[in-house]
This record gives sequence, C-alpha cells and structure tokens, in this order.
Amino acid sequence: MSDNLLSLMTFFPLVGMIVVLFLPREADRLIKSVTLVVTIITFFISLPLAFDDVFKTSAAMQYTEFARWISIGDYFQMNYNVGVDGISLWLVLLTTFIMPIAILSTWQAIDKYTKAFMALALLLETAMLGAFISLDLFLFYIFWELMLIPMYFMIGIWGGKNRIYASVKFFLFTAVGSLLMLVAIIYVYYFSVKVGVPFENGFSVAHFYNLDIPGNLQNWLFLAFAFSFAIKVPMFPVHTWLPDAHTEAPTAGSVILAAILLKMGTYGYVRFAIPLFPEATQTYTPFLATLCVIGIIYGALVAMMQEDVKKLVAYSSVSHLGFVMLGVFAMNLQGLSGGMLQMINHGISTGALFLIVGFIYERRHTRLIVEFGGIAKKMPIFATIFLIITLSSIGLPGTNGFVGEFLILVGAFESELRWFAVIATTGVIFAAVYMLWMYQRVMVGKLKNPANETLKDLNAREIVIMLPLLLFVFWIGIYPNTFFEKMNPSLENLIDQVKAKQQVAMMVEEVEQAPIKIVVND
Amino acid sequence: MNAMELIALTPVLILTLGATTLLMVGAWHKQVIPLVTGGIIVALAAAGAALLIQPPVAEIAGMFGSGPYARFFTLFWALSAALVLALSIRYIHEQTIPAGEYTSLVLFAATGMALLSSATSLVGIFLGLEAFTLSFYILIAINRHCDFSAEAGLKYLVMGAVATGFMAFGIGLLYACSGSFHLPEALHGLQTGGALRPWGLLGWGMLLVAIGFKISLVPFHLWTPDVYQGAPTPVVSFLATGSKGAVAAALIGLFASGPSGWGDMTSLLWILAVLTMLVGALCALMQTHIKRLLAYSSVVHMGTLLVGLLCQSRDGLTAGVFYVVVYCIASLGSFALIASLADHGDEPGALADWRGLGYRYPVRGGVLTVLLLSLAGMPPTAGFMAKFAIFHAAIQADLLSLALLGILASLISFAFYLKVILTLFTPNEAVAERHSGTGLEHTVLAICVTGVLLFGVVPGLLFDLIGRILP
Repeated sequence: MSDNLLSLMTFFPLVGMIVVLFLPREADRLIKSVTLVVTIITFFISLPLAFDDVFKTSAAMQYTEFARWISIGDYFQMNYNVGVDGISLWLVLLTTFIMPIAILSTWQAIDKYTKAFMALALLLETAMLGAFISLDLFLFYIFWELMLIPMYFMIGIWGGKNRIYASVKFFLFTAVGSLLMLVAIIYVYYFSVKVGVPFENGFSVAHFYNLDIPGNLQNWLFLAFAFSFAIKVPMFPVHTWLPDAHTEAPTAGSVILAAILLKMGTYGYVRFAIPLFPEATQTYTPFLATLCVIGIIYGALVAMMQEDVKKLVAYSSVSHLGFVMLGVFAMNLQGLSGGMLQMINHGISTGALFLIVGFIYERRHTRLIVEFGGIAKKMPIFATIFLIITLSSIGLPGTNGFVGEFLILVGAFESELRWFAVIATTGVIFAAVYMLWMYQRVMVGKLKNPANETLKDLNAREIVIMLPLLLFVFWIGIYPNTFFEKMNPSLENLIDQVKAKQQVAMMVEEVEQAPIKIVVND
Repeated sequence: MNAMELIALTPVLILTLGATTLLMVGAWHKQVIPLVTGGIIVALAAAGAALLIQPPVAEIAGMFGSGPYARFFTLFWALSAALVLALSIRYIHEQTIPAGEYTSLVLFAATGMALLSSATSLVGIFLGLEAFTLSFYILIAINRHCDFSAEAGLKYLVMGAVATGFMAFGIGLLYACSGSFHLPEALHGLQTGGALRPWGLLGWGMLLVAIGFKISLVPFHLWTPDVYQGAPTPVVSFLATGSKGAVAAALIGLFASGPSGWGDMTSLLWILAVLTMLVGALCALMQTHIKRLLAYSSVVHMGTLLVGLLCQSRDGLTAGVFYVVVYCIASLGSFALIASLADHGDEPGALADWRGLGYRYPVRGGVLTVLLLSLAGMPPTAGFMAKFAIFHAAIQADLLSLALLGILASLISFAFYLKVILTLFTPNEAVAERHSGTGLEHTVLAICVTGVLLFGVVPGLLFDLIGRILP
C-alpha cells in the first residue's frame, strides 16, 4: 500500500467526488457528512507521511511513483511522476489537515447547491495535492490549472455581492500567469531535448535541475515562472485580485484559498523557479526582495485602514506572504526554513482568522468593524480563541508566528538582504497595530450596538473546528523542531544546489570580465 | 474511371447514392423518423466502408486521394453527419421540414466534405467545396417559417458566391502559373528559386481569400455570427464543424504536400492568424447571444489552427489535425446541447436565458461546462492538449511571438467561456422550462463529452493515429 500512498491520497477525494455526485440532491446533511468523512479519511491516508523518519536524514524524493502517461510521436512525453520530500511534506499534510476543517465550517454557511459545492471542494483537494506532489512540470501544470476551475466556481456561485467580478478577476489574473508559465515550461522542455536529454524523461524536474541554461534565456524563463507564481503568492503589485476574491468567497473558500492555494505560489518558487534558474534568481533577488518589502509594509498599512474584518485579514495575507518570500530569497537555511514554516503558520493562523470572521458573519451577516464592539462579554470562548489566533498572527513568542518570522528576519539579516530585513521588521510592528486595534474595536470596550446583545457563543461544532488549529499554534510555537527536522535535509540540499550553480556562474563571469593580458616575449 | 477507383470511392458513393434514394423516397413518403433513420444508417455505412475497405488505388481520377488521411476524414465527416441527423429529428418534426430533402442535403454536404478533405488537385478542392456549400445554401434557409433563417441563408449565399468567384479565379491563376492542377506539382511549379512567382502569389492570395471566407478568418468573418444565429441549430452544428473542419483539413493537406518554403505567403498568413485570434476573441467578449459567441469562438479557433500551419513542420501539422478533430467534437457537442434545449423553435439564445439552467438541468449543465472548458483549452479536456500541441509546435519552430499572441487570445477567450459557464450556474428562481431532450440527443452529447475527456486524458491515441495518416 505504501507503494501507491501518494496516488491513493491524491485521488481518494476524486473518488469521493464521484460518490457525492450520485447522492440525492436534497440530502443536504448526508452530502456534507460524506464529504467530511472523505476528507478525514484522506487525512488519515496522508498521516503515515508525518511519522516517517526517513525525511530526517534523506533529502531525496520519497514514495515516488512513475508511470508513462501521454506520449505523442517521438517528440513529446509526459509522465505521471510524483513524490514528496521535506519541502512538500508539510504542505501536503497542511492540505489534508485543513480540508476537513474547511468542510466542517460549511455546515451552516452553505445552504444552497450543497452537492455542487462539496463535489468542487473534493475536486479541489485532488488538484492541490496533485500539484504539491508532482515531479513532472507538465503534470504540475495540469493540476495547477485544475485548481482554478473549482475555486472560480466557489467564488462565483457561493460568493457575496460582487462575486462575478471577483471570480473573473481571480481567474484572469491567475490564468495570465499560468499561460506564460506554460510557454516557459514548453521552452525548457524544448531546450532540454535540444541539448540531448532524451525526450522520454518528459518534463521531469530532477533532470531540468541539471540543465545549463544560458544566462539571457534563463532570465526570460525565470521571469515567466516568477510572474506566474508572484500572482498566486500574491506579491505586490499583482496582489489586487486577492482582497476581492477573499471578500467575496464563502468562508470555506477563503480558508482553502488562504491556507493552501496561496502556498502554491511560494512553493512554486522553492520547487521550480529558484532551483531551475539559480543564476537568474540571483540577478533578480534585489528586485524581488524589494517587492516583498513593499508588500509587507503596504499590505500592513492598507490592512490598518480596512473597515471590513475580512478585507483586513486578506491584506494581512499580502503582508505575511511578503515575509515568506523574503525568507525564501535569503537562500540560507534560517531564511528558507523560516519561510517554509511560515507557510504552514500562515495556513493555520489565517485559515483560523477566516473561520473566525465566518463565525461572526454567520451570526450578524455583517463584517464591518463599526458594527461590533464589546462582544467579548457575550462570547467569552470566542474571545479567547480569537485572541490566541490574533497573537499568533502577530507573532507573539510562544506561538507559531514568532518562530517563522524570527527565523526569516534572522536569515534575511545574515544574507545579502540585510537592509531589507531591517525595513521588513517594521512590518512586524504594523502587524501588531492592525491586528490588536481590530481586536480591540471588535471584541473589547462597551457593548454599544443592541444587535450584538443576543449573540451566542461558539457551539460545540465550532469549537471542534478551532481546537486542532489551536493545538498547532502552540505546538509549532513551542517545539518547532518536529517540523524543522524533517524539512531541513531537503532545504540544505536545495541551498547547496542553488549556491553551487550561482558560484559557478559568478566565476565564469569573473573570468570573462578579467582584463586579458597579452604577454609579449621578446 | 475503372473498377479499382470505384472501390476506393465506395464511402462517397454510399453517401451520394443513399442521399439520392432518400430524396426520391422522401417525395412520396413523408414520415420523418424512417427517413432520418435511413440517413443515419447511410452515414454509418459510409463510415464503416471508409474504415474497412482497403482502397486498391492511391488516387481517384487524379483528383481525390484515397490514402489513410482521406479515409480518416471521410470516416469523421460521415460520423458527424450521423450525429447531426440524430440531432435533427425533433427539429424536423417540430418545424415540419420535409425530411427527405433535409436528410439528403446533410448527406450531400458530408459527401462534399469527404471529397474536399481528400482532394489532391485544385479542381478536387473546388468540387468538394462547392458540393457542400451548395447544400448549405439550402440547409441554412430550410426553415421557411423563420425570417432569421432566410436572412442567414441569403447572407451565406452572397458571401459564398463571392468566395467561389475568388476561388475559381485563384485556381485559374495558379494553373496559368504552374501548368498543373495536380498537387503537389501545382505548388512546386509556382516557385522559382525558393520564392513564389508573382502570379502564383496572386493566385494564392485569391485562394486564401476564398478559404478565409469559408473558415471565417478575420477580416472575412463578418457573415459568421449572423448566419450562426439565424440558421437552424442542427444545421449550424454541421456548419461550424464539418464545413470549417473540411476546409481546414484540405488546407493541412495542402501544407503537408506542398514545398517547404512559402515565401511571402508566410507573412500574409502570420498577419491573418494574429488578426483572427485577437479580433475574434475581443468580439466574442462583447456577445450576449450564445450562438454569436460560439461563432466568434470558432473564429478564434481557426486562427489558432493557422498557427499550427505556420510552423511548417510535421509537428505543427499533426497538432493542426488534432486541433481540428477536437474542435469539431466540442463544437458539435455545444450546438447539440443548444438544440436539445430547444422546444418548437424556442431555444435559449440570449445569455440571460441561460441563467440558472445549470441547476435546472444539472447533467446537461455539466456537459456544456466540460465542452466549453475544452473549447477554452483547460486541462484535463482535449482542448488543452490541442492548444498545447499547437503552441508546442510553434515554440519549436521559433515562432515565440506568435505563440505569445495566441496565448493572449486564449486568455481573452477564457473570459467569455467562463462568462457562459458562470451564467449557467447563477442562481435563478425564474428559470424557464426547456425541453428535456430525447434519448438520441443525449447519446450525441454523451459521445461528444466522452471524446473530449478521452482525448484529454489519453491524447496519445489520436496523436499516434494522426502521425501515421498524415501524408
């Protein structure tokens, strides 16, 4: 069974989707239960990965599977080539972990067309897992595109007032990037075949890592990949789809979008853009790091000014993911592992924040900060949980956010990005300002709005949703080693690989630029 | 013409003789179902003949090939004709259209398409093209109760006549220049030292105008939305797939057999391809009527096909054939879906009519979604593989800018396909009742969806076949 663990995990939700499609349309509760069970089983299927100690010592791909898939004549081949290493391990687990929570959050929120929603959610899970485990670029692309359609529907059908605008914007932004990436993928493949890599290897990333792509070409290809992933992350200035999408999406959609879909972008950088084009990465690092820092500060400032809680959380994502990318571009172990951890943290904290926003929205059907105030008295459990998540999002020591952000800043400070780190640190302060200020306006003070008098505290289901998230807030905050020890070998390997290539490129450049001395012997 | 050639011509003979017989029978017996069923049987018999009979000669009368390429497309158009007839039964019933005439015209059109796709001489191209165009002149205007239908018929007639004029003149010039009708000699004769002779260029230009009209390349596309909107939907399903696909297949055949260098033609085709893709996509964005939208979508698709031809490589042509086949399946399916919702001529046309239909009829909503996603080129449908193959070939042929412009057009296309899909699933309490579709119509839809998904997941099946049959 462990031979096909990854395939089983990836396609089990798809099987679940087919089952859901055959359930009667009116059986609302049954459909939700089946979906929940499917996502929970998927989580248990993926659980052996978390307990496998091989990741502590090996940087290689584990659980690999390989099968020939599409071949066209004697010039095109793509393979079903999957596996996990320390980089994708926790993201895969985050996906299978968040999905049951997201489904549970729909219990009351989704009351129309339940069947379609659940089918799409399961399709989305397959697509996300597939993208994380793909070792063939083409396969990755197929899963990457497959993610778009369900999310597009989730926003477009179950969204708020401006859902059409938001969903089309989401789709078009992502599609622009991914089509450019497709051209770049074809180009890399074409290049690899031209330099003599046998075409049967398909779009295998491992083989593409060894290519020596000339500088100029590398720059263009990197830009295409980087642009595509930057939209997904999202980095400033291509982030504008995110607040719209988040504001309009239903709670479950927001949770999945924030917790997992955004990670596709950052994961794409770590897995594809940077190791495939290390020299171009070096060239563009100052530029991209500048965008990260702008994103951190700008996201925080805009978040501060928001009147809608959900929009505030959305903009805080822009800021947080700026941190993640800064850590990745630092290209040392602290920065990269901090960045990777912060991806998980962001998934947990921001996922939780969207759930919290969902809770109060379900009760009051508004998300405007001015409508609230002083509701901590009415909802003590809710207030506690909200506070913990708020603090974790700010990065208070002892919570998960602290470990990630701290490592990122240390990593960036020790790399060439020292001054970027210094400026980015102000983002931490801004984060404290906008989160705490929001918490204060919503939760504490006097209960002024009479509509809030009748608010009920969280029910058992809602507490059950939040508990696992709280567990990980503290687990990562107090003992992050569980996570680091399994991703570090892969990250070290990645850093060595990238640095080695960058150094070779620099030496070649130095030799080329050195003045040629002509020694004339008389 | 000897017996060998007649054996090679069997599929086409079955189609024509069957069509003639049905026309005669239809004059006396007017029952719809036996006549159309007879038509479907004739079409299937022709397809079977194309599949099974090994032609003993390679060429018929020096005009039509009988090689695997010709057989493949004969089979394909015969099957399409069968599907179109299956779709038409209810329409013929409801609109009281003479079934004998209708059936035989569809079969004659299929004959023309089969001949055109297998033409190996310029005369063969002309004959094939005229054979199905004449059928369409009547088919488009066959519903005499509908003013739109008459308008569409007239428009198609005028445009078609102009195109025929251009084509005849172009072929004349090519003949004058090269001294041969036969391909590829006629094409080789046009060249002097790698460049086209001036008269040859003019002839090619004229021919291209005619072809441009038929497959609606920009700026010759203006008839398309009007005709698609006005003509009976089952007829449009054949017009959009068969007539365009057959011309495209002939064009691919021309490129496959012709000399490698195209000289000045290349830049002309380049401009046509870019204009067609971009203008088509931008116009489609503005449409609020589903048939007009699909009309512009077909314009974009033909532009993308030109990209494949411009690669001037075997990969490009293979991709082109794949693209044509996949486009035809998805397009036929989409129009079939519209036809299956129509009730006594009342079909959902304006996008507003489609609001919420996806919930009212979830299976067909899902089918249309898959078909539109294929037209848009999203994985895991065949449309994605088709588009991918074209752009793959373009990049290999160093046509990066063309590939990028094509991708820009696909991006714009995403917007309008998604608009339809989303409208389909927009909540709407007041969604109108539509026809629930006959079993036959559902079968047609099932075939199209299966094709789109099958070739999306295992495109190798079709690619390998095309690789073997391409001349």
